[in-house]
Amino acid sequence: MRTMETAKTPGAAVGTDVKTVTYIEAITDGLREEMERDERIFLIGEDIAAYGGVFKATKGLYERFGPMRVIDSPISENFLVQGAVGAAIAGLIPSPELQFDDFISLAVDGIVEHAAKMRYRSGGMFTCPMVIRCCYGGAVGGGLFHSQANQSWFMHCPGLVVVTPATPYDAKGLLKSAFRGQNPVLYYEHKRLYRTIKGAVPTHDYTVPLGKAAVVREGRHATVISYALMLHRSLEAAEKLAAEGIEVEVIDLRTLLPYDKETILRSVEKTARAVVVYESSKTMGVGAEIGAMIAEEGFSFLDAPVRRVSPPDAPQEPFAPVLAAAYLPDAARIAQAIRETVAY
Amino acid sequence: MAVSTDELKGLYYYLNLVRQTDERCRRLFKQGRFHGTYFSAVGQEATVVGSCYGLRAEDVIGIQHRELGAVITKGMPLKYVMAELYARKDSPDRGKSHPCHYGWKPMGIITPASTIAAQTVIATGCALAFKIQRKDHVAVCFVGEGATSNGVWHEALNFAGVHRLACVFVVQNNLWAESVPARLGVPLDDVSERAKAYGFPGLTIDGNDVLLAYETTQEAVRRARRGEGPTLIEMKTYRWYGHSEIDPANYRTQEEVEYWKRRDPVPRFERLLMERGVIDESYKQATLQRIEREIEEAIDFAEKSPHPEPHEILEDVYAPLG
Ligand SMILES: Cc1ncc(C[n+]2csc(CCOP(=O)(O)OP(=O)(O)O)c2C)c(N)n1
Ligand SMILES: [Mg+2]
Repeated sequence: MRTMETAKTPGAAVGTDVKTVTYIEAITDGLREEMERDERIFLIGEDIAAYGGVFKATKGLYERFGPMRVIDSPISENFLVQGAVGAAIAGLIPSPELQFDDFISLAVDGIVEHAAKMRYRSGGMFTCPMVIRCCYGGAVGGGLFHSQANQSWFMHCPGLVVVTPATPYDAKGLLKSAFRGQNPVLYYEHKRLYRTIKGAVPTHDYTVPLGKAAVVREGRHATVISYALMLHRSLEAAEKLAAEGIEVEVIDLRTLLPYDKETILRSVEKTARAVVVYESSKTMGVGAEIGAMIAEEGFSFLDAPVRRVSPPDAPQEPFAPVLAAAYLPDAARIAQAIRETVAY
Repeated sequence: MAVSTDELKGLYYYLNLVRQTDERCRRLFKQGRFHGTYFSAVGQEATVVGSCYGLRAEDVIGIQHRELGAVITKGMPLKYVMAELYARKDSPDRGKSHPCHYGWKPMGIITPASTIAAQTVIATGCALAFKIQRKDHVAVCFVGEGATSNGVWHEALNFAGVHRLACVFVVQNNLWAESVPARLGVPLDDVSERAKAYGFPGLTIDGNDVLLAYETTQEAVRRARRGEGPTLIEMKTYRWYGHSEIDPANYRTQEEVEYWKRRDPVPRFERLLMERGVIDESYKQATLQRIEREIEEAIDFAEKSPHPEPHEILEDVYAPLG
């Protein structure tokens, strides 16, 4: 097993023994390979067995591993996670799938009180290795109740690891790390990326470390900190700005909790400017934490205020196409915020 | 199944150990020797002693706040029970959790959180693992009648019913959920009727009869081990004191309390054993002395155990990220 750095540019080849897969294929492959490697791993979720999941992330796994390792669950989100916590402390490595982030509120007790606190509350006696998979995110016409992005809720839960990949490479590598550790991991999959993003992944076994961000584009005029779908839009913005002579450094957080302060601060020290681009309403989103951390620990590096680029404080992406378009930041909006920050 | 003399004596020992420990803990709290609060279960001992006696180390129990007797009978050393209440460094939870949230991994006692009913759900998850692992271990899942109104409890019973998991759901119906009477929590006389909805048997028994609690639970445990699925056992009982030691419990009538005190499970079982000639007065005295000594040793252990140090606040948040 080798640990490799992520591709510098999402989707770029990383070696000779690689194959090109979509983001969702990387997840399915990651699940299959991990289940082959470790028979303690089992999946449980709504419509995940013979049906293969509503997005087909578990396609073929029921046929491969059978009904004891790929279990169709009743519509019981609360049980799904809490039951998985029980299975974890009994020695298995469960992976409950929550069908949409919009339903995760029903499972919060299991995630926050039990998965995240099991180790702490038991003085380290009980550990809770599990991978809670949940798809999320807008830009798929999902409307108010099938577009949510609630990562920042869970960034407030020490004990939990929260990850969300932007590329097939990271999707697979982070998933493998999640299954091989002792912590509960909330693994967030962006559904807009499932089939729109393709990239090269090694054909051999590899992992991507938890808790480490990646500098996916180097630059010296401003640092953009982002993840998942917003990372791709940030990279588009960086490309546009390069033509104008603005060199943007782009960081993919990959792990949102506990997140990689050093990589962020090192970059901001170099560029003196920071823009956080994230997918959720603005107030108390991911940008609130990253912005505050930079202000607290990197104030002397800064030549401009930290800028947040996010959707407005609407409850979520609405259904009407015109309203939906007004929700998520696009590359143009991100580019404009960077320009202003650089010009400050 | 005939209950042996040894088993009867074992039940007698635990019943008294739990009663004496519980009363002693109340006094310790009142004396300010540990802080926070304390959830007494005096009056209810027969339910938990009867349902945990005879379980295997590998069987798990999911407990709430009122299961002192369950953890003692399942085999958590008394010194760790005390250290938990005192929130000391030698407590299995290292002083992190909450009063009466006992846990002890070697005996399958799952350290609970406070969200009511959740511990039964987590224990149900253990039973799912036992099924996947093809082990014949059993999960005994405790709740009060109040917790049976919580949605997740129903999700767990439903799942256990669908997959015929090796669960025994013990409901201690003590007629009160904090200050709310059972009639405002459950629209049934017998909570056990809830089992019908999930396709497995529900029984209601006298929870102050330790022998009955033991025999009924053991039957359900055997059924579960054979792969025949869950059982719900409602045990009717009563808590003598407040919800916790900071609750004067003035929402109840004195008559009600007196009625139940006359049904005290401890002397009741003692009379039975004396009548059957299983124990005599000198056995009783020897047992009580042994218990007294064990409790003193446990208190001594807890009081000598150091407090956790400030830097430990960040211990056990994460395992190494890897
Ligand atoms: C989800 C949740 N809601 C409320 C509480 C506060 N609370 C703690 S115990 C309790 C009453 C529990 O009643 P019951 O289940 O009958 O158990 P008993 O205390 O009678 O043993 C309440 C309301 C809690 N701990 N968890
Ligand atoms: Mg009650």
